Amino acid sequence: MIFPPDLITGVISFIFTILIFSYLIGDNPLFRIAVYIFVGVSAGYVAAIALWQVIVPRLIYPLVFGSMNEKIFAAIPLLGSLFILLKVSSRMAGVARMTMAFLVGAGAAVIVAGAVMGTLIPQVGATINFFDLNAAVAVGISKGEAFGNGLVVLFGTIFSLVYFHFGASPKADGSMHRFGLIEIAAWVGRIFIGITLGAVFAGVYAAALTALIERIASIINFFANLFGNF
Amino acid sequence: MQVITAFIAIASGVLVLGGYFFPALAGVQTLLLNWAIILAGVAAIVGILNLTSVHMDKIRRGEKGSAYSALLVIGLAATFFFGMILRPQHNVMQMVLNGIIVPVEAALMGLLTVSLLYAAIRLLRRRTDMMGVIFLLTAALLFLGSATLPFGDIPLIGTLIRPWVSQILALGGARGILIGVALGALTTGLRVLFAVDRPYGGT
Repeated sequence: MIFPPDLITGVISFIFTILIFSYLIGDNPLFRIAVYIFVGVSAGYVAAIALWQVIVPRLIYPLVFGSMNEKIFAAIPLLGSLFILLKVSSRMAGVARMTMAFLVGAGAAVIVAGAVMGTLIPQVGATINFFDLNAAVAVGISKGEAFGNGLVVLFGTIFSLVYFHFGASPKADGSMHRFGLIEIAAWVGRIFIGITLGAVFAGVYAAALTALIERIASIINFFANLFGNF
Repeated sequence: MQVITAFIAIASGVLVLGGYFFPALAGVQTLLLNWAIILAGVAAIVGILNLTSVHMDKIRRGEKGSAYSALLVIGLAATFFFGMILRPQHNVMQMVLNGIIVPVEAALMGLLTVSLLYAAIRLLRRRTDMMGVIFLLTAALLFLGSATLPFGDIPLIGTLIRPWVSQILALGGARGILIGVALGALTTGLRVLFAVDRPYGGT
């Protein structure tokens, strides 16, 4: 008797969902079994993906089937890979530093470019665009409302940023205090940050609730399909 | 060795960064990023090897919880073995993905509903200051405002207050936090590029 793949997937999925939900009665061996298997399977899956989708097409394939240029260019990351593998041995770990230095340098450059072009410029631009009153009128928002909203967003952005300024000077009694105006702006910034974190919390809670409903629905569907088939 | 590693980090960083601004360096940037992707893949494999060796040691020493470690190693070895032979797109591997990985992730996410609710109640009991009240009030307002109810949106909360709080008030704070994070990332990145910070091992 051959079981259909969907049924096998459904049974495994059902068992693991129940094992994870057993955590609701407290930390127990069933939950731990599910989590340890999950970590092992995920690590094995990631290793297989890394090999088949990164290392084989980008390193092995050019080295075996590529032109002379491709082989030379692939030889450098091959050497770097060997250096990283030497990191497993504590005596040879120093050699891996060169590869790590390359990775850190390239990563830092990507982070710098990403921060400037992916966050700073778009966020500042979007804040300025709130004051484009003609564009607001074109989508049916009055100029006064658009300007008021723009001011709230602008002040929210500035005050939230000020909150993260922790420069302080010592007072006569030895205590440390921020400059008066900065202290007031930081206090307003705290309110904006509280509202933002509340909004983030609501979003995360809604996502978690959706996942919970999806899992409960999958359990109900599993039983419905199982008893529907018999 | 320290000078060599600092030189490698600065040179690779400057060349990759230059590729964003000077089209002539775009080819070099692509090549370096391709190498970085390969090395990151190898580093991931080394990390997984380290995970395996830690749990193998636990099993060898017969430490408490070594049975769980055995399950982890068996799961890892079996998935990696079949993944290498069948490739990740194969039906068996998709069965592993849809039968174990996705349901466990979703179930763990579902468990968050209980932990987050518990955390919110603890916050209200232990820290009833202005920040705590604003935080929970905003969360409750947005949650009520976006709930799908049989009679539609709750008047005022769903139609006016929720959109204004989430799209204007929360946006201001979020933008401040995002710009702050970006400035922090920029500073950290520049410190690495100027070799002030050397997280790769040089002092």
